[in-house]
Amino acid sequence: MRIRVKMIGPLMYEVGFSEKEVEVPADTTAEALLDLIAVSRQRPRIMTRNGRAIAPQEVLEDGDKIAVSPIYSGG
Amino acid sequence: MYGWTGNILRINLTTKTVKKETYSEEFARTWVGGRGFAVKILYDELKPGIDPLGPDNKFVVAVGPLAGIPAPNTGKTVVAAKSPLTGGYGDGNLGTRITEHLRRCGYDVLIVEGRADAPTYIYLQDDEVSLLPANEIWGKGTYATHDWLYQKYGRAAGILSIGQAGETLSLYAVVRSLEGRAGGRPGMGAVMGSKNLKAIVAKGNKPIPQADPQGMKSLGAGDLKKVGDIDKQSGWSKQSTNGVLAWCNEVAALPVRNMRKTHHPDAWKVDGERLNNARVATYGCPNCTMRCGIAIHDHEGRESELDYENIGMLGPNLEIFDLEQVGSLNYMCDDYGFDTISAGATLAFYADAIDRGDTQGDFKFGDAERAKELLTLASRREGVGNLIAQGSLRMARRFGRGSENYAMQVKGLEMAAYNCKFCPGMALSFGTAPIGGTHKEAWVITYELNQAKRESYGPEKAAKVMELQRIRGGLFEFLTACRFPWVELGWGLENYTVYFNKITGLNWTLDDFWKTSDRIYALIKLFWLRENPAIDRTFDYPPGVWFDPANADTEGPIAGKILERDKYDSLLQHFYDLRHWDRRGIPTRKLTGILGLEAEAAAAEKFGKLE
Repeated sequence: MRIRVKMIGPLMYEVGFSEKEVEVPADTTAEALLDLIAVSRQRPRIMTRNGRAIAPQEVLEDGDKIAVSPIYSGG
Repeated sequence: MYGWTGNILRINLTTKTVKKETYSEEFARTWVGGRGFAVKILYDELKPGIDPLGPDNKFVVAVGPLAGIPAPNTGKTVVAAKSPLTGGYGDGNLGTRITEHLRRCGYDVLIVEGRADAPTYIYLQDDEVSLLPANEIWGKGTYATHDWLYQKYGRAAGILSIGQAGETLSLYAVVRSLEGRAGGRPGMGAVMGSKNLKAIVAKGNKPIPQADPQGMKSLGAGDLKKVGDIDKQSGWSKQSTNGVLAWCNEVAALPVRNMRKTHHPDAWKVDGERLNNARVATYGCPNCTMRCGIAIHDHEGRESELDYENIGMLGPNLEIFDLEQVGSLNYMCDDYGFDTISAGATLAFYADAIDRGDTQGDFKFGDAERAKELLTLASRREGVGNLIAQGSLRMARRFGRGSENYAMQVKGLEMAAYNCKFCPGMALSFGTAPIGGTHKEAWVITYELNQAKRESYGPEKAAKVMELQRIRGGLFEFLTACRFPWVELGWGLENYTVYFNKITGLNWTLDDFWKTSDRIYALIKLFWLRENPAIDRTFDYPPGVWFDPANADTEGPIAGKILERDKYDSLLQHFYDLRHWDRRGIPTRKLTGILGLEAEAAAAEKFGKLE
């Protein structure tokens, strides 16, 4: 299935893109997606699916837009 | 006493007198510094009901025990006064070389009273204090003012100044320093202007008293390097605070069109990636290794230093998605000395009011050139600029027709760049921030949207707001240090007890800090009570439009969602219960006793009863 992935803030430099479509196996979870796009697990990340929070174990669906962000805490 | 100079410098501009005073160790331990010193002094010395722009108001510059000592990130100074914008307690902090120089002149606090009979600036050099004519810089912007003072005193001098907005008493004029630093959103620059005070310059050479100066020197230098290394590793300062813009857009929390909308397809044009790509220089505060000020060339080719709040409020909130034009508006605000958040919110309110037929005018969302003209008019108080210089609430009261409902402010201070149309916890954070709608006290929005349920109005959100207030509005404001190493890089809070104890020779824990925080928040509320004896819980409500079903998004992640008034009120009650405040949001007599505020409570009760 195809997932649109948006990397927020400095994560885009880590993975080398800011937004793109990726092909992932069916039943891929949110946290498995992080491994597929090679996001470091050293620091906590937050993820949204179509603008809403998503838990790491939730299974993605075809056409989802997933945003991955560091935990910002405010200017 | 270590860690504190024990000295206050008091300058009366009316009588041209200078007095060096001392304060006790008990005062130091009770209020610690920065915001703590400021609110205690203003509470004790200001008669309730005074004109904030009259000579009876006092302008306080205050620092804390960590200030100016190399460690993460200790370049901050608090500026405070009764606010001309809100009528309540007002303050703000900014990174400045004044922080270190004030202490090296031998003071932790400067109090400026009265009103000079002609434009004046204050110059401190160690023990010497001079009141000097500012005629040559009166009428100039902050950049030219700083350049003029740099030429006289060198670039290493500490400088605070105002621009034309402060001189013409714009109610949201700020105090400025360095290339892009500003503080005192609720009109602290106007208070300086009302005193004919253009600038404060300090150069000091005295040692800062510390219990273990050698130990602190080596610890502080090492930790500064560690923080810098963590920043490089995480990449945070590549986009600095503006990294969050894309996230706000993604989760429908971006201020767009006077916060009518929560996201926009063009938001990417002003996001952190574009800002980093346009970077021509980087600036930061003293004692900082994660410099967050990203400068770009603006539409006119000037260097403009930007962060998220500037961009959010002067960009998407005005539906301007041209980064160079946003840079121009930001440069003008910085040069005139306007607060960028209130300026963006007030211009957006004006465009919204015209759009809705609540007033007539020629300003439309997206019109950057007209926005520039309006800022210039506001700096001169000419035409409609006179109204714009007074902020969105006064403007709404002039327009009437229910427009106050969509003046995006709390207590008169415009809210920062987080659209809480459906973020109950962040709305509570704005509602209960002690100076009005600032984001700096309890930035709870990432917790709210990721670790809690967004639709929850439960006690967990009230608890998180209070926890963050204690840290951000308390600890970092009284020590005085920047919160970014902790908040953005995870630099542990326990480090700050280590620094504090090394500097003061005390043995405090975080619990001691929390009690100090609670004392400060309680006293700020008593300050508001004295100014507004009829105060009630509606003071802690966000703007009405967030409760209006007609304002709900029609598409996107929060389509059809709004804040629910009854539930917000119950969330507010959770917060009051945690703080041991009464149903009006006022500290109880029992709490004031626990916090050692008996005398302050008695002073408040001459104006309004405590329960």
